[in-house]
Amino acid sequence: MPASAANNRPEDLTARLGVGAGAAQGEALLKALREVKNQIIGNKTKKLLYLHLGAVPKIVSVLAAAAASSSSDSGGISRGGDAAVIVQAAAAIGSFACGVEDGVRAVLDAGAVPHLTSILSHDDEKVVDAGARSLKMIFQSELAPKYDVLQEKNLNFILSLLDSDNENVTELAASIIAHSCETNEQQKALCDAGVLLRFVSLLGGSSNQKDGCLESIAAVIKNNPEVSSRFSCTGNGKALNALANLIQDRYPHTRLLACKCLIAVGHASPCYVEELQIKTKLVLVLVELLEEPGRVGNEAPFSLKTLIADDEELHKQALSVNAIEKLCSILQMSSVQARRLQGILLALAELCSKLEKCRCQLMSPQVLNLIVDALKHDCMDVRVAACDCIRNITRSLKNLSAGCLSSEAFIVRLVQLSHDPSTSVQSVLIKCGGVSQLVQLSKSMDSALRSRSVLALRNLMFLADITDKEFILKELTLCTLASLIYDSECSIQEQALALTSDLVDGCSQSVKHVLAEDSIILDAVMRQLQNASSIGVCIQGMFVLSNIAAGSESDKDTVMNYLVPPHTDSCIPSFTIKFLQSKDILLRVASLWCFVNLTDPASVGSSRRVARLQDAGIVLQLKSMLNDPCLDCKLRVRMILEQCMELETAQA
Amino acid sequence: MPVRVVESSTPSQDSGLESRTGRPPPPSCSLLSAGRAFSGTQNVSSLQKDEAWKVNVRIQGIDLDNGYLCGTMEALNVPLADTPVVTFWEGELVDGNNFTFFTRKWEATPEDDIRHWSKFPSFAPLLRWKEQYFVNVGIDCGLTIAGFYYVCFSCSDGSINGFYYDPNSSPFQKLELKCIPGGCSGYTFSSYQLL
Repeated sequence: MPASAANNRPEDLTARLGVGAGAAQGEALLKALREVKNQIIGNKTKKLLYLHLGAVPKIVSVLAAAAASSSSDSGGISRGGDAAVIVQAAAAIGSFACGVEDGVRAVLDAGAVPHLTSILSHDDEKVVDAGARSLKMIFQSELAPKYDVLQEKNLNFILSLLDSDNENVTELAASIIAHSCETNEQQKALCDAGVLLRFVSLLGGSSNQKDGCLESIAAVIKNNPEVSSRFSCTGNGKALNALANLIQDRYPHTRLLACKCLIAVGHASPCYVEELQIKTKLVLVLVELLEEPGRVGNEAPFSLKTLIADDEELHKQALSVNAIEKLCSILQMSSVQARRLQGILLALAELCSKLEKCRCQLMSPQVLNLIVDALKHDCMDVRVAACDCIRNITRSLKNLSAGCLSSEAFIVRLVQLSHDPSTSVQSVLIKCGGVSQLVQLSKSMDSALRSRSVLALRNLMFLADITDKEFILKELTLCTLASLIYDSECSIQEQALALTSDLVDGCSQSVKHVLAEDSIILDAVMRQLQNASSIGVCIQGMFVLSNIAAGSESDKDTVMNYLVPPHTDSCIPSFTIKFLQSKDILLRVASLWCFVNLTDPASVGSSRRVARLQDAGIVLQLKSMLNDPCLDCKLRVRMILEQCMELETAQA
Repeated sequence: MPVRVVESSTPSQDSGLESRTGRPPPPSCSLLSAGRAFSGTQNVSSLQKDEAWKVNVRIQGIDLDNGYLCGTMEALNVPLADTPVVTFWEGELVDGNNFTFFTRKWEATPEDDIRHWSKFPSFAPLLRWKEQYFVNVGIDCGLTIAGFYYVCFSCSDGSINGFYYDPNSSPFQKLELKCIPGGCSGYTFSSYQLL
């Protein structure tokens, strides 16, 4: 083997790096640095190898020494030599930090940042470029240090970079800002310092500079109405116009970043991006970008989802430019990268959240199977996104009724999700079958999980036949149902009461369950009605009583005894009077139906109950509601009073 | 909570006569709710004879904000079928906001609309029901769901009166349904919620 090739082995090259005895000097050091840099560029394996050999601290020490020497008063060849060494060392350090987290860590641990920063003020433009490029690589990583711009020293440093004529340096400033700007105060400080104005003026630069500025603009205005408004007013709309032009830039990455900026403005200060026209344009651009390879195509669906979130009009716009077809065609490609898959599913989920047309477009077995398959993806974010998507697809009553979503494969996969180790997957989608799993989840410490699982059980109970109702109740047990009615969260109490109401709906056989075990359930219902923790709880509680009161004579009497206990002091008004006086229409309606059922003329004990209602002041309250502003309430009041009169006449 | 669904029947919303006035949503009517069942008859006329098919209807979903509702319709003793025939229908609530009196589709002219609506004794709530597909039989079952129903709902007792309209069928085939209370002596209510 030739001697020179043997000397270029990583171990040999690494040995020649560094300062002091043993390390190479002058030209030999420069050669070694250049060789290492050339070997590692674009080669992750070599980077990791050199990391393992400890090359990074050595190169950083070379950089430090050369930078210190270069800044001294010595001139001529020595400085020129130093400059060359600095350039190669900086380039190598930047390359280690590019795309390799271990490399970033090693570079930071070796203390490279201060030395790289110090060479930004070097006389030699090539040195400045090398330093700036290297730092940019570092600041692309989340591990890079954050500059708190609320500290004057840091702000001044960034402003000095931003004022530079060197594009690499201004791009570095933009990277640091995009990476570091987190709080509203920091955003305001940067805005006050004129940073946004400077960025707008730099938007005419090179593609890299444009992209850097756009990322930073988005970071500075994000979720900050004041800063966003100030930006939008800049130069009488010049800033916004510049962004609007850039969404048609020739480079896809620039188009995407410009879209993100406009979306950020739209969210922080909606009045500036209100016109449907610009939003429609954004939808069109983002839908086109969905098909771009690489990072642009990965990020475009996320931006699309953010843009159209909760906006039905924009959903329609997206539909009209074939967003669904494009998203589905990408979904059907082989080996879609996890990030992109997550974005596609989230965008589809958003589109299906409101429009039935969108849901129907996803009903083809091919597409549905792919979405269901994503439920078992390795990446948790993908599984959660798939859950979101399926949840919104199942809002289609049309397709649910047609049985399109009841195939065994579909349901089984959904049930398996309840075993998913990720709680966010469990909480997003609990809908179908798997009663015992739902019951288990209804006992979770996580209130969101309890809420969703009780909701699912309630939905299962809706219009179920007696066999299914009894099966669900047997799995759930009266004790668990009672504890859910007493849950610490009002929303869960409400769901549990709605479940109970659905249990006894249309099914007098089920009433025995609410009276079983010393009326544990009915007692719980009554206790919560008296506590009246929320309107929703009261409404559902009254529907429970109403449904029971639609049953047999003894069921009606049971309800009556709870509403107007036989030996109560008549001076204490029944809580139902309060409900009848409520401002909430549905609470009045639910209460009225209960009395409709209690005074049913066909029931033998109704006269007796009417007399007790009279004594309790409830009939008087009802008479005062003859002109209730709600038509539905008026009709029920009339129904009750007519029934009372009919009973009176029959008795006479 | 009812599901939100958008139907894009826009022509009736753009007319000068029925332009959107931004009226408040229609009054709620507790008997027009998901889960509610109705039972009655539809008079089905042909050249040979008049028949009355027993019909059961159940509302599956309702979204008052968008004037949308949907449900199933079950026709019993249908001569051509061995079993009751179930269809899924979608409804429009004539609220003056989402949908107006004028149908502007399904081959119904404004004159047809006026002729049908004027047969109802009261104004509200008025609906159109359109069957979308057969749930339990194939499309080759010999039955048609090409037409739609003009429907008048009575809030006081939940009764439904309607007329089936299909230019290729006998006119004014009457639909008469009574609300099924649900309990053995009284009205029951049930609900579900979609996320």
